[in-house]
Amino acid sequence: MKKTFLILLATIAITACKEDETQVQNPGTLNLTFENVIDDTTLNLGDSYINSSSETYTINELKYIISNITLTRKDGTLEIYPQDESYFVVNEADANSKSIQLNGIEAGDYTAITFGFGVDPTKYPIESGTLNFVPTAEETGMLWTWSAGFKFILLEGDYTSQTVTESSPYLIHVGSHGANLDNYRDITVALEAASSNTDFTIAEGVNASQTILFDVSKVFDGANTISIDNKPDIQVDPVNAPLIATNISTAFAAQQ
Amino acid sequence: MNKLLHILGFICFLSCGSDNEDYTLIEEEGIEDTQSENPLLDFSVPSNFPDLTYDVSQNPPTEKGFELGKKLFYDGQLASDGVVSCGFCHIQSFAFTHHTHITSHGVDGLIGRRNAQPLHNMAFMNEFTWDGASTFLDSQPIIPITAEVEMNETVSNVLNKLRDDPNYPALFAEAYGSEGINAERMFKSLSQFMLMMVSANSKYDKWERGESITFSEQEEDGRVLFQEKCASCHAGTLQTDQSYRNNGLPLDPQYNDMGRTEVTGLTDDIRKFKVPSLRNIEITFPYMHDGRLGTLEDVLDFYTDGIVQSETLDPIFTKPSGSIGLEMTAEEKSKIIEFLKTLTDTDFLNDQSFAEF
Repeated sequence: MKKTFLILLATIAITACKEDETQVQNPGTLNLTFENVIDDTTLNLGDSYINSSSETYTINELKYIISNITLTRKDGTLEIYPQDESYFVVNEADANSKSIQLNGIEAGDYTAITFGFGVDPTKYPIESGTLNFVPTAEETGMLWTWSAGFKFILLEGDYTSQTVTESSPYLIHVGSHGANLDNYRDITVALEAASSNTDFTIAEGVNASQTILFDVSKVFDGANTISIDNKPDIQVDPVNAPLIATNISTAFAAQQ
Repeated sequence: MNKLLHILGFICFLSCGSDNEDYTLIEEEGIEDTQSENPLLDFSVPSNFPDLTYDVSQNPPTEKGFELGKKLFYDGQLASDGVVSCGFCHIQSFAFTHHTHITSHGVDGLIGRRNAQPLHNMAFMNEFTWDGASTFLDSQPIIPITAEVEMNETVSNVLNKLRDDPNYPALFAEAYGSEGINAERMFKSLSQFMLMMVSANSKYDKWERGESITFSEQEEDGRVLFQEKCASCHAGTLQTDQSYRNNGLPLDPQYNDMGRTEVTGLTDDIRKFKVPSLRNIEITFPYMHDGRLGTLEDVLDFYTDGIVQSETLDPIFTKPSGSIGLEMTAEEKSKIIEFLKTLTDTDFLNDQSFAEF
């Protein structure tokens, strides 16, 4: 048994390193642009929007963590972007943060992109490469320092409702709390080629770009309806945080 | 299993040692040289201990990594005031806790709300801190480094200080085989230092391993009583089932500390704290999450006469009659304390490899 285990481990170790040794043929670059929208319109910080609970809300701050990027090839195989290089904070107030350049991607036709919302809390920090993401998360206010955990989304603004008539602050911080409350979600969206008859190609010399839309209104109105008035301060919340994470899991789409 | 981990680490090291397809003999020699300059430390699981929770294969302690971790552990630069190092509150002779303040003492004389926990056998723990806020040893130091009432720093700024330091760049390079100071390397080094803190040479350990040690009559009576009265929570070789429980401490209005619920958001977890290991318990006073009890006698008196009722009080303290508390006579208590003293590991407390100077 032990011997088998060892051989298995050795195989894993060798296979794990194989990728480093083979040269990627004509690697290409994929430029991702994250665009935050409310329904179909570009989000503007400070503008007023209305949710299905008849609450009028503004968004003053919006940030979220994207991680674990994987591309699906036309033949179904996966191109896994180096995990420790795939942690990003998208900040609505920082245009640079909304452009993500993925380099060294093997040339080919691709059909879909999968990324994580947040940081996978089940993975070991060394294994998942999150320790080097700590300073970035800290500087962008996405680190729960008191628990050494990450805020997956930070959404803050003001709102009024039928009962709260004076503009009042609301705050949504969804993250994971150790192994107890896992709000991490893998999100897959189909890549959109320039025209419907062509494939989405990434290769050397090809300008491969894709806009990823995040419909923020779905935070409140997705599979679950979240009324701000019901709980204007959602942080360590075992009830509402998973509902919001589920809403967010269908809030992304790709467009050329 | 531990041996396997060692071998796995070695395999990974060898198989990943070269980024180049041309795997030459010179590079092989290079690897051997690196190894002889920075050998792996002998991290072994004591035969009476439970399975490791830490995946050592991902961060096998090396001589240089351990030394770097130790330097970081005792370095006040990790705090905003340049003084309050990890070792400031975690003092080796007290099993890496402290005695002078009931709760922890941070920068600018600020006082925290919880008692610094002793540090030992962390490679066997599932979660860290009194409420289990941290799931991984590697990221746990973020909590004390950034807490305003502890070290009040940012991880980014600590890294900047280390990069500007005359000594650290070379020490990081020696430990990891290439230039560069980053968060992962810093946390890995701290983990390597803490992983090696295995306290497994108490009289109790020797008894458990059958190393021709005999307990005195008092100690043996105490051991049997401990099994009967305490071991349902303080279970196993490390005397903890690693669960979170409300043991009936009255709520201290000064702190109003709600415990585990702050981490989970669950009302069921109100006033629950981690069942601590009792290793080196004799010298890790004061006791409880807020250090309110000064002696082991106080602790046992609390369990017989001090428990207060509340919604989340652990059911284990409620007797069939409906009254609460454990049943222990004065004589039984003194026997249990004699047994608890067999958990003191003087080899660990005096181990020079962990010492600041």
